[in-house]
Amino acid sequence: MAEQDISRDVTAHHAKKDAARKRRRRTVIRHAILIGWALLIMFPIYWMIQTSFKDAGEWVTWPPNWIPNDPTLKNYEQIFSFNIQESGVARQATEQPFNIWGATADSIIICTISALIALFLGTFLAYAISRYNVGGKRFRHSVLLIRMIPPIVIAIPLLMYYAIMIPLATDAVLGARISLFDTRLGLSLLYITITLPFVIWMMLSFIDEIPYSFEHAARIMGAGRIYTIRKVVLPLVASGMVVTFLFVFILNWAEFLLSLTLTHPDVTTLPVLLNKFQSASEGRLYGPQAAIGTIITIPVVIMGILIQKHLIKGFSFGTIRK
Amino acid sequence: MTETIKMAAEVQKVGPLTRLSRWLSQERVFRWIPFILVEGMFILILIIPFLMTIYISFLRWRANRPFEQAYLSGLRNYEAVLTDQGFWASLGRTFYFAGFAVLFELVIGFVLAMMVHRITRGQRFYITIFLIPMMVVPVVAGYNFSMIYLDSGPLNQLLAPFLNLFDINPRIRWLSNPIAAQWAIILADVWQWTSLTFLIFLSGFSALPPQLTNAARIMGASRGQIFLWIELPLLKPAIVIAVVIRLMEALKLFDPVVLLTFGGPGTSTQTVAYYLWEQVWQFNKYSFGAAASVLLLIMFSFLIFFGIYLISRQNDAVERGEV
Repeated sequence: MAEQDISRDVTAHHAKKDAARKRRRRTVIRHAILIGWALLIMFPIYWMIQTSFKDAGEWVTWPPNWIPNDPTLKNYEQIFSFNIQESGVARQATEQPFNIWGATADSIIICTISALIALFLGTFLAYAISRYNVGGKRFRHSVLLIRMIPPIVIAIPLLMYYAIMIPLATDAVLGARISLFDTRLGLSLLYITITLPFVIWMMLSFIDEIPYSFEHAARIMGAGRIYTIRKVVLPLVASGMVVTFLFVFILNWAEFLLSLTLTHPDVTTLPVLLNKFQSASEGRLYGPQAAIGTIITIPVVIMGILIQKHLIKGFSFGTIRK
Repeated sequence: MTETIKMAAEVQKVGPLTRLSRWLSQERVFRWIPFILVEGMFILILIIPFLMTIYISFLRWRANRPFEQAYLSGLRNYEAVLTDQGFWASLGRTFYFAGFAVLFELVIGFVLAMMVHRITRGQRFYITIFLIPMMVVPVVAGYNFSMIYLDSGPLNQLLAPFLNLFDINPRIRWLSNPIAAQWAIILADVWQWTSLTFLIFLSGFSALPPQLTNAARIMGASRGQIFLWIELPLLKPAIVIAVVIRLMEALKLFDPVVLLTFGGPGTSTQTVAYYLWEQVWQFNKYSFGAAASVLLLIMFSFLIFFGIYLISRQNDAVERGEV
């Protein structure tokens, strides 16, 4: 009896050990695969950053160097100094691809302002949808519809609208040709419109989480509607608003087709600027391109990492039960 | 008596600002003002231009001529689009790219999410790294891959030992070969957007109730059984959403095409977005572009409505607690 017990214990012990070994092996394999993918992911970014520190002779050597032989900041100096000397002419010349100061300013202004306005409008609408069911039950889903329209389908009409129809209309009505083509205002208006669905969707998920009883209590105690929102709702969704703002900012920052289409000489966003380098005929400037790419990428990646936790929640699209 | 006096005094004190805030805090104002503003934006920026586009699509007009000279031409533009070989070829190519890219993204994203879900240490680290590509500007991603595919780029360097075995010159120009260029674009897309499918699946996995799998394990279910009969059905909503969202996005493919190949070599990497863009900007075929975008919107609407129907059905099922 006792012997049997012991032998059973021994086999159980072995089985446990086996299972533990198996589990450990599985964990090691998993980590190996995950690290492999992480390396794959980081490689293109690493390659860009290291190219941005290479001197002209090293951009395209065979075999390519994985680490710059002689790291320099020349590329950064180059992209930032092109314009200081030429900024006067830069705006007039149609093919002035190197105006990084102008492009940075345009990008920051357009992305920030349109993200702020979209956030403001979208938050209030989300509140109205959440509390009063404005627009009906399906409205929540149908706003996403706009987001799914391919941008090329928006770009072609908008080009004609901005460049031809609005000038014609204002000419007839006001007597002056006002064009939204190639202006910051035109691009901002468009960015606001196409990011509103995202703002509404994200803010809905934050506002829905606040129990209505909070507001109800405040209202019963005599607070006005606006006061309630300012003192009860806003503090609770503030972090959500920051996340949404950053998310929308990243979307605007990355947008390419529409800004390529609706702006030509005057307004340039950073992605369009980078593309101008790519299509330059007179030999590609790999180093400065890499430097611009690095400058575009770093801030948004940092923002993205900051809001990552919320992205995981936001991208469940309502499939996670609360 | 005293109260009425007080009230009268108050009415006198009310300035324009207070009156405004009082008007604003009416419920119906509060309900409808944001709605009207947002809908107004949509109408002004999206609907009106689109209605005009429908009108333009019936005109015979090139952008290099003044708009006043345009005249109605019936359905000729639509006929031109529908009989245009380039349009259909680019549309087919878009689906070909999207299909393969989304397939890879789904499989890789699913496997990665499952692994990250199963490990205990380093989860945060992996999640942070894996989500980075999504935040990289697509234009920059396109540029990065153009560097990697360079004839003297790291890809050729890594392949060189194998290629030398077969006496092939290792300095291959990937983007000059039609098929290689197509796959270059697909790979760039997979690199960037696997992070999105990973994210969707990860949130799906983390929502799985651990009690169910534990109970099944205690009852003697094998790992395969648990995966097939418990986890997979519970993940169905996440899978549907990942497929719908990624497919929609993949059909818009434009940025990497411009950055990597400009639609070349020949027309082998022209997606429908690129093709139309070229028709309108390079060749000034505005009314052609208008007709094409109307047709494209109609085609996509079916897909979009189907996608939204699928998503909202999943959401309803979740709300009812069926899934």
